[in-house]
Amino acid sequence: MSATEADLDVSLLSKTFPNTGEGPAGGVQGANFALASGTFFTLLGPSGCGKTTTLRCIAGLEQPDSGIIRLGDRVFFDHSSGTNVPLNLRNIGMVFQSYAIWPHMTVFENVAFPLRVAKDRRYGRGEIDRRVDEALDTVELLALKSRSATRLSGGQQQRVALARAIVRKPRLLLLDEPLSNLDAALREEMRKELKKLQAQIGVTTVYVTHDQAEALEMSDHIAVMQQGRIVQLASPRDIYRNPSNAFVAGFVGSTNWLSGMARGDGSGMVVNLANSQSSIRCIQRKVELEGRDVLVSVRPETITLRDVHSTVPDRTNRLMGRVSFAGFSGGSMRYQVNSNELKLEAYGSPDSTWNEGDEVCIDFGTDAASIFEA
Amino acid sequence: MTGNSEISLSKVARVNGAARLSGSVLRYSRLVDYPLIALSAAIIVIIGLLVLPPIWTLIRTSFANTMPDLSTAGFTLDHYINLVTGRNLAVSAVNSIVFATCATILSLIIGGILAWLVERTDAPLKGLAYVTTIVSLGTPYILYVTAWLYLLGRAGPFNDLYRTWIDPTSTPFNVNSLTGMILIEGFLWSPLVFLLLSSTFRAANADMEEAARMSGASILDTIRLISMKLARPALFALALFVFIRNIEAFEVPALVGMPGRVDVLTTELYKSIKEVPPRVGYASAFSVVMLIIVGALLFLYGKMSKQAERYASITGKGFRPRPFALGRGRWIAGLVILVNFAIVLALPISAILWTSLMPFVRPMRWMALGTTTIKHYEAVVSSPYYLGLALNTLMVSAGTATVVMLLALVAGWLAARRKPGAAIVDQLITMPLVFPGLVLGIALLEIGLRFPIPIYGTLWLIGLAFVIRYMPYGMRYAYSGVLQIHSELEQAASVSGANIRESLRLIVGPLLIPALTSGWLFIFLIAAKEMSLPLLLAGPSSQTISVAMFDLWANGQGGEVAALGLMWVTFMTIVATTFYRIARRLSLSSFGH
Repeated sequence: MSATEADLDVSLLSKTFPNTGEGPAGGVQGANFALASGTFFTLLGPSGCGKTTTLRCIAGLEQPDSGIIRLGDRVFFDHSSGTNVPLNLRNIGMVFQSYAIWPHMTVFENVAFPLRVAKDRRYGRGEIDRRVDEALDTVELLALKSRSATRLSGGQQQRVALARAIVRKPRLLLLDEPLSNLDAALREEMRKELKKLQAQIGVTTVYVTHDQAEALEMSDHIAVMQQGRIVQLASPRDIYRNPSNAFVAGFVGSTNWLSGMARGDGSGMVVNLANSQSSIRCIQRKVELEGRDVLVSVRPETITLRDVHSTVPDRTNRLMGRVSFAGFSGGSMRYQVNSNELKLEAYGSPDSTWNEGDEVCIDFGTDAASIFEA
Repeated sequence: MTGNSEISLSKVARVNGAARLSGSVLRYSRLVDYPLIALSAAIIVIIGLLVLPPIWTLIRTSFANTMPDLSTAGFTLDHYINLVTGRNLAVSAVNSIVFATCATILSLIIGGILAWLVERTDAPLKGLAYVTTIVSLGTPYILYVTAWLYLLGRAGPFNDLYRTWIDPTSTPFNVNSLTGMILIEGFLWSPLVFLLLSSTFRAANADMEEAARMSGASILDTIRLISMKLARPALFALALFVFIRNIEAFEVPALVGMPGRVDVLTTELYKSIKEVPPRVGYASAFSVVMLIIVGALLFLYGKMSKQAERYASITGKGFRPRPFALGRGRWIAGLVILVNFAIVLALPISAILWTSLMPFVRPMRWMALGTTTIKHYEAVVSSPYYLGLALNTLMVSAGTATVVMLLALVAGWLAARRKPGAAIVDQLITMPLVFPGLVLGIALLEIGLRFPIPIYGTLWLIGLAFVIRYMPYGMRYAYSGVLQIHSELEQAASVSGANIRESLRLIVGPLLIPALTSGWLFIFLIAAKEMSLPLLLAGPSSQTISVAMFDLWANGQGGEVAALGLMWVTFMTIVATTFYRIARRLSLSSFGH
């Protein structure tokens, strides 16, 4: 996508904080991304990776050291020309981690606030009423319109925050870990609702989270961040299947790490595993890693445990091992299998019946192994 | 060269033009937040103009020759030489240190024990402890001091009982002594120590004590090894704070010490400015020395309280301090609270009541009841003079509290949110803490005399002095109030489109109302009972209640002091309670908790 048709365009964004010696310094270096209108975009990473800083720079809560931030044809920030639109004139909707519901106002007053202080135009009383009703209706909270903001549950506060963020129909919606303060069940529910709501109003959305499951389920595109840099920007499927480096593979989803020495082999590669005589085949070919120590990532759900007498299917790696742990977790069985000194995690269907001590074959496809620099 | 610069200029112009075409880009060509900087600068200028001139005036006068008409000319070190060579400074300094140290220890013992009992145990009568504290904080010092002067004095019940039962010819206790001063000052400060320490104990995390109990520690071990250790930095910081206040104290030294010729730094200073002609240069030099001493102590205090903060263990969510069960010790604890009530409130108030009802100062005896009279009350009520004084006091106190809290709202917000200039604002607004009341009074006296607008002898000058003196207190309320407001509440307002003014007016202001009202009430109450500033600054038409009581006392009209004081305390208690109730209801209706 070229920058001109992008809705939100962030280029070479940098912001560093003077290191105070307390915790990770945060900050972001040279972040680049351009989003088409209506995209649900997620910044994913561990704490201190710079995802929140990036979001706050877009919002205008932080002033970047350099870079350009543009929404449509409007330049919010451009260090080289000295442009910095004050945050209150950016017309962005934002949901804060704490929801930031003003306790001295009712639900209605909270949601009406952005309309009352709007600088670009005046909203009449009737229009404010109508718009607030509309926003509250969207988040299914119309019934609580005149309730005091202090008498709301966590989930309700979150909806009020959302209604307040969308009431002015902004072109951009920023969500700063909005689900992290909810309990597990509500979080799952709100994931669905938030995604549906975003699709319904079609607003370009930047979502910040450290929860990879959230990111994978909700996003159109994900940027995985590590130490202030975007290390991979791709669709959830690509991120999961073709992580660009070992960090991404480890952070997004759980995985097994096998170490060994790589060599080229036809169109793919073969890795001789370090602690065993076995080798595994991989359809990926990374020429620069040939002859070097590498790490191989194999996702637990790509592993199939088979009977020792079964035949090896095509394009499949096989290691021999013994089940050392079998746990029933409702929707699936979780196994730990030892192969020589390797410990591998594998999932099986809830009906699978391997027991601790069983000898098994550990099978995974040649397309399921990803190779990274050690 | 000119050609070159022309070219680059036109380039810039073209770039600008292009940018403007592509959508009003340069309308906000600023990386600097001007409204915020303007606000910050304005506050710095206002506070600077309040705080710096008094210091400058004192320093200048202390180095200048003073003419008989109080104008100054030339440079001299004479005042400092007089100060150092005179005997008075050394004697009064030693007295000051002994007085302040002992009084501090006394008030810490009383207030500390009480605070721990009330906050961390299941002692009965907790309500009484609070009532005692609140009422006594609203009582003018002078009234308290006169009550204690009577109680411990020649005609008071203690000496009287001794004479009746043991030796009719002697008076064992001379109240006009260093011991008397220490006792009275210690009693005076114990309520405030109680209040400050109870917030420390309340903030202490009960988990830490319970963890000790679960590890097998007895209650006493827990107190000794955990509670006290955790509270120690806060205790030391508080002790230093009270010590500083005792060094600066004026009421007790003036009313108790001066008649017995026990001089401390503040009374020495007071005498030098009240001499005719006043020794302005000497007093200024004296004041500068006091400023340096207090400044150094405050610096130390700042370091200590920073250390105390690291021990603060408030954990936020679901935090409920759980009290110790004292078992049978409950009743001993109740007794302690009762004794405190007697010493801090019941005894002084009954002494005042007694003196206000007696035609002249006499011992508490049944037979004296026959001479009961209400002539003092009649004198107070029938005189329009006192009504004027009450109005003056209320006006200047309410005005001060309002101005201070408005300044503190903006300054506290700037400082707590680390906006540009935050450090300067914070430094400037806390600077008046180095002024003992009397020293600030002398500085403003000099400013008032030289000020182009005739404010000398008016309420305006007293108000100005009050604002300077109480700004740091207002700042504390506003600052901690702002810290309690989650910063995302403000950021949400900005993202919603609000500018600084709207954020402050619609979000920060309303959310700060509880902090601002308690700050307002606190300043209103202490301003209403402040004596040292109005004593120096009041003109004939700008007297306040405290000054009038001081004058009455000096004239030997103890009965009228008592009657006036008692009525004033009752009135102020009603005002404060009503205000508190209304404020509470307001915040209840808007915050729902």
